Amino acid sequence: MISDQAKKEIDIWVAKYPTGRQSSAVMEALKIVQAENGGSLTNDLIKAVADYLDMPRINAQEVATFYENYNHKPVGKHVIRFCHNISCMLNGADDLISYLETKLGVKTGEARKDGLVSVKKVECLGACVGAPMCQIGDKYFENLTEQRIDEILDGLK
Amino acid sequence: MVDIEIEIDGKVVHGNSGESVISIADREGIEIPRFCYHKKLSVSANCRMCLIDIKGNPKPQPACSTLASAGMKLYTKNAKAKAAQKAVMEFLLINHPLDCPICDQGGECELQDVAMEYGSDVSVFNEGKRIVADKDIGALIHTDMTRCIHCTRCIRFGAEVAGIVEMGGTGRGEDLKIEPFLSEGIQSELSGNMIDVCPVGALTSKPFRFEVRSWQMNSIQSIARHDLVGSNIFTQTHKGKVKRVVARDNESVNETWISDRDRFSYQGLASEKRCLVPKIKVNNEWREASWQEALDFAVNGIKNNNSDGSKFGALTSKNATLEELYLLQKLTRGMGSDNLDYRSDFANPAAANILKSSISLAELEDIDHALIVGSHLRLEQPMINHRIRKATLNGASVSAINAQTFDSNYRISNNLLTAPQNTLATLSGVLKAVLNEASEKQPDYLNSVVVEQAHKDIADNLLNAENAVVILGEHVNGNPDSDGISQLVKDIAEASQAQTLNVSLTSNSLAAEQVGFRPVNGKNALEILASDLNSFVMFDIYPDFDCFNPESAIENLSRSDAFVVSLNSFEDDSVLKYSDVVLPIASFYETSGTHVNIDNISQSYSASVKSAGDSKPGWKVIKVLADLLEIQGFEFVDSCEVADEALSMTPSTSVARAKITGSEIPEISTVWQCAPYSVDALVRHSSSLQETQIGQINVASVSKATAKLLKLSEGDLFKGVPVNINNSVAEGCVFVHTYQPRKC
Amino acid sequence: MNKVCFKNINKDNPSSLATYEASGGYKVWRKILKGELSQGKILDELKTSGLRGRGGAGFPTGLKWSFMPRNQEGQKYVVCNSDEGEPGTCKDRDILRFNPHAVIEGMAIAGYVMKASVGYNYIRGEFMEPYYRFEEALNEAYGAGLLGEDINDSKITFNLYTHLGAGAYICGEETALLESIEGKKGQPRFKPPFPANVGLYGKPTTINNTESFASVPDILAKGGQWFADLGVPNSGGCKLFSVTGHVNNPANFEIPMGTPFSDLLEMAGGLREGRKLKAVIPGGSSTPVLPAKAALKMNMDYDSIDKAGSMLGAGSVIIMDDTTCMVKALTRLAHFYYDESCGQCTPCREGTGWIYRVLKRIMDGHGKNEDLDLLLSVQDKIIGNTICALGDAAAMPVESFIRHFRKEFEHYIKNGESMVAKDG
Ligand SMILES: Cc1cc2nc3c(=O)[nH]c(=O)nc-3n(C[C@H](O)[C@H](O)[C@H](O)COP(=O)(O)O)c2cc1C
Ligand code: SF4
Ligand code: FES
Repeated sequence: MISDQAKKEIDIWVAKYPTGRQSSAVMEALKIVQAENGGSLTNDLIKAVADYLDMPRINAQEVATFYENYNHKPVGKHVIRFCHNISCMLNGADDLISYLETKLGVKTGEARKDGLVSVKKVECLGACVGAPMCQIGDKYFENLTEQRIDEILDGLK
Repeated sequence: MVDIEIEIDGKVVHGNSGESVISIADREGIEIPRFCYHKKLSVSANCRMCLIDIKGNPKPQPACSTLASAGMKLYTKNAKAKAAQKAVMEFLLINHPLDCPICDQGGECELQDVAMEYGSDVSVFNEGKRIVADKDIGALIHTDMTRCIHCTRCIRFGAEVAGIVEMGGTGRGEDLKIEPFLSEGIQSELSGNMIDVCPVGALTSKPFRFEVRSWQMNSIQSIARHDLVGSNIFTQTHKGKVKRVVARDNESVNETWISDRDRFSYQGLASEKRCLVPKIKVNNEWREASWQEALDFAVNGIKNNNSDGSKFGALTSKNATLEELYLLQKLTRGMGSDNLDYRSDFANPAAANILKSSISLAELEDIDHALIVGSHLRLEQPMINHRIRKATLNGASVSAINAQTFDSNYRISNNLLTAPQNTLATLSGVLKAVLNEASEKQPDYLNSVVVEQAHKDIADNLLNAENAVVILGEHVNGNPDSDGISQLVKDIAEASQAQTLNVSLTSNSLAAEQVGFRPVNGKNALEILASDLNSFVMFDIYPDFDCFNPESAIENLSRSDAFVVSLNSFEDDSVLKYSDVVLPIASFYETSGTHVNIDNISQSYSASVKSAGDSKPGWKVIKVLADLLEIQGFEFVDSCEVADEALSMTPSTSVARAKITGSEIPEISTVWQCAPYSVDALVRHSSSLQETQIGQINVASVSKATAKLLKLSEGDLFKGVPVNINNSVAEGCVFVHTYQPRKC
Repeated sequence: MNKVCFKNINKDNPSSLATYEASGGYKVWRKILKGELSQGKILDELKTSGLRGRGGAGFPTGLKWSFMPRNQEGQKYVVCNSDEGEPGTCKDRDILRFNPHAVIEGMAIAGYVMKASVGYNYIRGEFMEPYYRFEEALNEAYGAGLLGEDINDSKITFNLYTHLGAGAYICGEETALLESIEGKKGQPRFKPPFPANVGLYGKPTTINNTESFASVPDILAKGGQWFADLGVPNSGGCKLFSVTGHVNNPANFEIPMGTPFSDLLEMAGGLREGRKLKAVIPGGSSTPVLPAKAALKMNMDYDSIDKAGSMLGAGSVIIMDDTTCMVKALTRLAHFYYDESCGQCTPCREGTGWIYRVLKRIMDGHGKNEDLDLLLSVQDKIIGNTICALGDAAAMPVESFIRHFRKEFEHYIKNGESMVAKDG
């Protein structure tokens, strides 16, 4: 269920914590297997991670459902996480989100049919001085305008 | 202990520093509302219902997580406290369905009770209530999670008491859901306690669902009889039927918990397989009879087949009450017979050695090491196992000499896999190691014993402990070397200054011992079942489960010159095969009686309901039989008188030292363990228990090498039980754990 | 400006070890490794500096460190809180990106003071760029022999690791953060016991905010008094303020405590052409909102903002001009707390959803006259009754928004639409 490569990556995290505390690595382990699975988790993956880290399965599931960064439904190849909290809102995030939805033909919270993108409204991402902003993959895109969004979308393959 | 003074609502009270304020208030009878707090669970302080005002604190504080310190002044009912409590109550109710009229918890709901006192009448919440989808979590517990108030008692119970983390809280915020992983359900042998700890109707008893409203039932104090603890319970009855069983607090016996077996076995009472009328066999045909006719038939049969009584024998199950055991013993001896026994499942009932327990249930929590010999303790004696688990939580270690590695809810640090035929040798090695280390003289029989490292490790564990216990389990009963094993356990304990705990004799066996229900010079169970006796009383015996070798027992009892009087609560084909009369007797909860538990405490109980159909309490039937057989000394008016007489007996305590000589060593042997929900007729007839995973245990485990020797492969049947090849079993044995009838 | 955490921000390669050392970085740590600086002296300097925790609560850092049972045997931990999730706050991100070594040095010093040999920096899961920068810096520090076992034969061991979050504001709460490092969901623990006694893995633990740690090396290098003098009494030093919202030049500014708000507003380029200041949230979304008049009178320090009726919090200044619909702004904040409540304690789990739904209903045009009193009573029932301060954080804005802008709410309820022509 978990690839050897993924296990290697998980082990790097496990090594950061005291012996017997390997379940500290569960958050990263879930992210690693999620990435390998195209961006979302399955119950079998959660089970596999729990078993690999020798922790109760329900506790791994608790973690997987508590934190926002895990997906339990398939997502697009690129997930656009658009902040709609106060600073971004004051700077026009809502309009830009609508713009994005229309442009992509997809509703927030869903993946587009071709699987390329999904859009998610999220809470503050901690880049309020660059509002409005969004996150795609590891990267932040700040000071967004419609034009800037067009450019970003053009770059998504 | 009590060392500080604090003030609660103006009243000066005493407590221990470091004790929670709520526990002091509870002891003083000062009421503080609460949901998440449970005296046996860790504190989570998350419901916020117990908020009180503490002088000097700007915010109200939870009484459950606030530790008392000298001079503290608390107000549990002033304006600030009340406002906080009311606020919390209101929040708890906004998303609660308030479906009390159809809720099984109605009338015994902590939420309902507290709401009456702290709730306000009108809710200003108009936003649409949360609905939570339910999961099937198994045959015993019904869920209605919309009612859940997220107190997390069930989660903490699982993690802390049951020792299996099964329940959890998934999601967050308002979406927080209390549930087990996927649909794996709940598997613990103590799971039913979650029903008791749940303060609302989110977790309720599945078998009890929609049966009756709680306030319509009578609660009767009773004692559970499926194991050696005799857990204290309430049987709750309605219109003469047991509808539910719940735990009754008794700190020194079962604390606040009961096993699922004790909780759900009552369902068997309503089985269609109950014996409801007397039956007699005339010309090989069974027909119903009146009590008078059946009793006459029985008595004539016994009389006609006996000249001096020596041809008479009596066997009983371990579930009989003290009174029944006493009277049947008295009847048998009154007949001039000494052929009586309760150990029909023993490989070698000739073994006389009875290991005495030297430690009490409560003391078990204070041990720092336990050595378990031949027991799947968690499933055999759940409540005793729980005490050991508590000891491990306080740092105790556990080692085991078992034929298989069992799933335990604590760590067994040293598990010495040992096939039955090697147990004697292993224990001899351990004893020798203990004596060596303690530089004590060794008896001659240990001369040729070789001490291995594993023996030394176990010896070290025992010797390094301040307060150790050696536990002898029920696997010894099927071992031909049982005598030697018990003796060695005793010797090891003595040499290492450990306590002993004998859990091999379960249910009410200690009552049988109390009344001397075993032969002095006469025949024991095996001999009775193999002999040419010609009249028998079989009390509550179901040979397929209760006899060591059911096949030969049934065959022998079916001899044409054997007259068998059976007293049973449940119909049974094998019983019908050999019996001449079946007298229907009351089952659990239908008769008064006494249970003698492992602490030698006699716990008497009265009948919770009338016995089913025409059946009668066993003790009365035996008394009438004795009267009709014209045996003296049966002038009892009620079962209390019987109990008094039984308890005034002084059982013979002197037991000769057993010889430590091994029997012939078979190459491969079998351990046959009856699954926990098949140990007696009542549990076997409880459909919900049978549906659980524990109820479905049916596996013959064997190692790869041993399987090869036996030419067994995965999935084959071994004595009717599917084979599973795994490395948890000692070489040279097959470990059968099953709900199925026993095969020799 | 830019005297402490941001002092290298305009240099080339500000995050590198070379830049850091060129500006005096790791001097203090090297002194410690040579045995030239005692724990007591460090605690004294910190107390003198008047440094107060930059994570929001403003607890004096020197005092917090002195509470640690540092002479207790056994493992102890130092944890840095880089979870930065409070709406309006984005300063720690820039410290991690542009001055990671100051955090490392600050944590190492804390490790020395507390006799803790292991540290974790908890970085919020979305901060991948800051995470990579911080890891780079860690590698540099290990490479330069500044971290590890028995560093330079000093008998001092300090190992530092990052732990990444996975999206949960509540993990910024210090005990939820500890749970999260332990691989659990981020549910705050009840206190006492405090982390100083029972913290990570049950061991004594010191937790501070990124900015707090990053301020420590300079305080010790230049002296506590120097730092204290940068600010005003009771608010020592410089502080980072994230100015966001309706300003021309939203940015992070490191300015002396006590700087007038109007100066800060000016630094941020002032309001946009033709707009008027309507309201300011001075310390991040959970601090009470202030109307323009009150805000313009305050200075950026603890006491002054307190006097104005709000809190300095994490220094996250959210500027709202006259195009802002206060109903919408509050609804958005309410949604945030509703979404981020961990769910364990009753008032917050049930109350945040209630508040949000009532506001949403008002926004949807179905408001009722009683709703404002209802909102006030619900927030009142949450406040002070929860396990952690998220409950209070969710409740406080409700009270202040309604108190200062009641008319706007009433208008919305009555007319089913905003009083403000076009919101921003
Ligand atoms: C809901 C909640 C969120 C918090 N988020 C953060 C955060 O993102 N960063 C932070 O440093 N402190 C945060 N805190 C404050 C921390 O609990 C803690 O007080 C702080 O990390 C201590 O560091 P300091 O003394 O250096 O400020 C939060 C508190 C609460 C109640
Ligand atoms: S106040 Fe909210 S976030 Fe804090 S513990 Fe309670 S439910 Fe969790
Ligand atoms: S009983 Fe104290 S908070 Fe729940």
